[in-house]
Amino acid sequence: MKSILITFDQAYYERIISTLEKMNCRGFSYLEQVQGRGSKTGDPHYGSHAWPSMCSAIISVVEDDKVDSILKILHEMDLETEQLGLRAFVWNIEQAI
Amino acid sequence: MSLYEGAVKRPVMTSLCFLAVVIMGLFSLSKLPIDLYPDIESNTIMVMTSYAGASASDIENNITRPLENTLNSVSDLKHITSKSYENYSIITLEFEYGNDIDVKTNDVRDKLDMVTTLPDGAEKPILFKFSTDMIPVVLLSVKAKESLPALYKILDDNVVNPLARIKGVGTVSISGAPEREIHVYVNPVKLEAYNLTVESISSIIGAENRNVPGGTFDIGTQTYSLRVEGEFKDAKEMAKIVVGSKSGANIYLSDVAKIDDSVEERAQETYNNGEQGAMIVIQKQSGANSVDISDKVMKALPKLQKSLPSDVKLGIIVDTSDNIRNTIQSLADTIRDAMIFVSLVIFLFLGRWRATVIVLITIPLSLIASFIYLAATGSSLNIISLSSLSIAIGMVVDDAIVVLENVTTHIERGSEPKQAAIHGTNEVAVSVVASTLTLIAVFFPLTLVTGMTGVLFKELGWMVCIIMVISTICALTLTPMLCSQLLRLQRKQSKIFTTIYGPVEKALDKFDSTYSKMLNWAVRHRATVFLSCIVFFVASMFLGKYIGSEFFPTQDNSRIKVTYELPIGTRAEVSKALAKKINDEWVRKYPEINVISYTAGQASSDNIWASMSDNGSHIVNYNIRLSDPKDRESSLAEICDMMRKDLDQYPELKKYQVMLGGGNSVMGGQSTIDFEIYGYDFTETDKVAQDLKKELLTVNGCSEVRISRSDYQPEYQVDFDREKLALHGLNTTGAANYLRNRISGATASYYREDGDEYKIKVMYDPENRQSIEDIENILIYNAAGQGIRVKDLGKVVERSTPPNIQRKDRERVNTVTAVISGAALGDVVAESQKKIANMDIPYGINVELSGSYEDQQDSFRDLGTLAILIIILVFIVMAAQFESLTYPFIIMFSIPFALSGIILALFLTNQTLNVMSLLGGILLIGIVVKNGIVLIDYISLNRERGMSIISSVVMGGKSRLRPVVMTTLTTILGMVPMAIGTGEGSEMWSPMGISVIGGLTISTILTLILVPVLYCIFAGTGVKNTRKKLAKLNS
Repeated sequence: MKSILITFDQAYYERIISTLEKMNCRGFSYLEQVQGRGSKTGDPHYGSHAWPSMCSAIISVVEDDKVDSILKILHEMDLETEQLGLRAFVWNIEQAI
Repeated sequence: MSLYEGAVKRPVMTSLCFLAVVIMGLFSLSKLPIDLYPDIESNTIMVMTSYAGASASDIENNITRPLENTLNSVSDLKHITSKSYENYSIITLEFEYGNDIDVKTNDVRDKLDMVTTLPDGAEKPILFKFSTDMIPVVLLSVKAKESLPALYKILDDNVVNPLARIKGVGTVSISGAPEREIHVYVNPVKLEAYNLTVESISSIIGAENRNVPGGTFDIGTQTYSLRVEGEFKDAKEMAKIVVGSKSGANIYLSDVAKIDDSVEERAQETYNNGEQGAMIVIQKQSGANSVDISDKVMKALPKLQKSLPSDVKLGIIVDTSDNIRNTIQSLADTIRDAMIFVSLVIFLFLGRWRATVIVLITIPLSLIASFIYLAATGSSLNIISLSSLSIAIGMVVDDAIVVLENVTTHIERGSEPKQAAIHGTNEVAVSVVASTLTLIAVFFPLTLVTGMTGVLFKELGWMVCIIMVISTICALTLTPMLCSQLLRLQRKQSKIFTTIYGPVEKALDKFDSTYSKMLNWAVRHRATVFLSCIVFFVASMFLGKYIGSEFFPTQDNSRIKVTYELPIGTRAEVSKALAKKINDEWVRKYPEINVISYTAGQASSDNIWASMSDNGSHIVNYNIRLSDPKDRESSLAEICDMMRKDLDQYPELKKYQVMLGGGNSVMGGQSTIDFEIYGYDFTETDKVAQDLKKELLTVNGCSEVRISRSDYQPEYQVDFDREKLALHGLNTTGAANYLRNRISGATASYYREDGDEYKIKVMYDPENRQSIEDIENILIYNAAGQGIRVKDLGKVVERSTPPNIQRKDRERVNTVTAVISGAALGDVVAESQKKIANMDIPYGINVELSGSYEDQQDSFRDLGTLAILIIILVFIVMAAQFESLTYPFIIMFSIPFALSGIILALFLTNQTLNVMSLLGGILLIGIVVKNGIVLIDYISLNRERGMSIISSVVMGGKSRLRPVVMTTLTTILGMVPMAIGTGEGSEMWSPMGISVIGGLTISTILTLILVPVLYCIFAGTGVKNTRKKLAKLNS
């Protein structure tokens, strides 16, 4: 089992949810208001006067074999609209109840 | 779920909600009445009290003063004026604007009930909810041929009574139609010979002309009633009446008298376009709707016409509602034009039709919704409410544009339209609300103004506030919803579009880069820019000296009323001849005249309405209607001035008055200055008035000067010697009645015909009442039947008395009124005040200024206070938004340049400063400040993003140039139809349009340069200060 943390511009929300559903990933946690900025490019997402846009984050724990295909779709999505900003990070799940 | 999220996710609900608002708005619109102004007419109540037999000064002391003292305590009273005439007193109570007239009427009635000190013979005071000063709503002309002698009765029964029943009609009066009267002209010489008197003849006529019931009696099985029918079936029957006998022979009435079945002796005559006839004057009650009344009158006319004899023709001399309707129509046209202009500007700047539609849809929505407010408050479609719409058109789109722009940015970044709409709106919601708050800070205080300007601005304030709030709600709900439904990411434009819109795009880009170059230069030459702006401001202020001031612009409603007086006592025939001469002259000289109607002569004393307005054998009144303003070259004011010159050619005229607009209306007429001379002594105040008139005539711009107090009426008085009266067993009242019966006539009885009654009056024949000797030879009989001549009882002397006594605020007043034409009110006041200061005014006499000048001063003062209040409020809103005191201060710098712009525009168009242009100035505070906010907001955003001061100013300026220019252009172009309009009534609002256009243009140009420069100066100092502080801390 691996966990995927997806941080994205709020505008991606519906697209990401539908992707997860398509991939049969039922479980996820959604953080609606997330602030942050990219390491290299992209505008900061602070929800402030200067940088009004905001991010959201979704953590989904999926079977190992699904990770690659999900990341592929997300990467395509990011390339399509680079200005919005979308990142995904994967790490192992040690235990779960 | 936030407001906009809900709206975007539930498009059906959102669109149907707005549809419901539109339906309600349109429904309200269909119910709205039309009027010229909001309920502006000064609320006046008139109290009339009659006390037969008292002279003007008796009336003043016994009736007017006690009533005035009590009525003075009614609340919200502005002025209390009175006129004491012979036999009756008229008190006019003028209330502050905006009071409910019905409530005030009750207050006045309560106070009247408290008055117990009136003399016994005085009748109960009568209340009227209108003033005779009010302009008639409709003037009807009546043409008649055969029916002329009976015209009064015909009109009274068939026209006046039905019209007076219409709701809101104050009075309907007839002028020019004499009443039928049967005169018995007796010959005094023959009377004396037969030992008869006027009294005995009149009592015999009275006794003969009677139907007497004789009771009932039974014949067989039937009961019959017994009657004597003595009433005359024909006036000619009277000739056969036996009035006495001499040496056994009967004396018939025809032996001593002439029976004349005609009309009353003293009568006004009316001529419509040169033909004799009558005039029906319809006045409305305080607060009633003119258009409504005139509609009903016009509707009733065809029916009334049918009930009249075939030779009597009704026509319309003046229908004030025509002017109102045309004015409102031309204002509606300017609103339509403004919408077209605004649409073009938006399309030009946005370049996409979907975006243009989304933004434009807010205009009709917000405007239509405001009709609900109008209907709910019982207001009307008038100049003010429609002007508010016109003002608002350019501003309602601003919020929607801001939202749309941000949503577009999101879509271009790759968001889906739905998400872009929600997040894009979310980001700008706060600043959209803040900018609306700034505008509300400007318009809301308008609702707090009191007085006459208050009535005008209250509606404007509420209207614009409501429209702005609705447009903001629209921008936060409907606009994002429509964006999510309509907007699509368009990577490539179609070929046709690029060919058409390409050049525009290029021009706009060029404009952006030129501006950024200019701004770059300006921020590097801060001192030069700042100083030259100050120089420009000071220079423009000097121009202000050449701009005159007035109260309200003179409105061209194509109506003129002229009244002139010949020397008092001039015979009616002379006045009529002159009236005809002047009438013909004017008809020849001014082809613009459509209808001209004049009335000359004295009104009968029975016609109380006609007798209350100025009339007399020496007074002539004209009512003139010109063709529509667009069909003639000379303006109303020019024609009035020419008519004044014409009247100057007649030295026999004692005074004349040419009233532009047809009456002393509060607004729209020519400006007047009233110099009120307060003082008890008649001779002294008269002298001051005469001197003042002479001085005023030398002042440039006074086209007409008149004194309110009429000339003293010359009269003959009989001074009876009381001892001689007593010696013959007579008293003064008895003797006086003898005189009255012979000159004015004794009403013997009433002649009845077809259910109508006509007076039968016995009096001396006209040839025997033409000289003092005729009076002196009148025989007065005592109880013993002896006849004594007047000359044996007393003396006939000639005296003169003032015909009426005018008072204002419980003091005797004589008003000198100067009509201003061709010069600014303020200048004339200044010059005449200088003249008054040099005059020798006796102790105890006060000269005070009132008239339009008083109103102007009040309004300008109110507006000044208002401007300060608004600036403070706007500052507070801005300071709260920016959380800074410096930014609002910088933005405020654009306001003085709006003033420069107004002055420049007024100077170039040769307009004066009046309430309307000042109103434009006040509106500017909000609009101008908005540009500054947009600019400063973006500059500080750039700084927060880490740019340097200068680059954030230049970048910020460049990126905000289009929104600023676009919103400014929508407002300016929205005003253009108002400023250049030529329709009826356009002179009212064009000063406002001109001042907004001028002020906004200049201040926007300067804001775009000066505000960034000032920002650099202040931010630079700010940075230096922080550095110093840091240095201190570090050391």
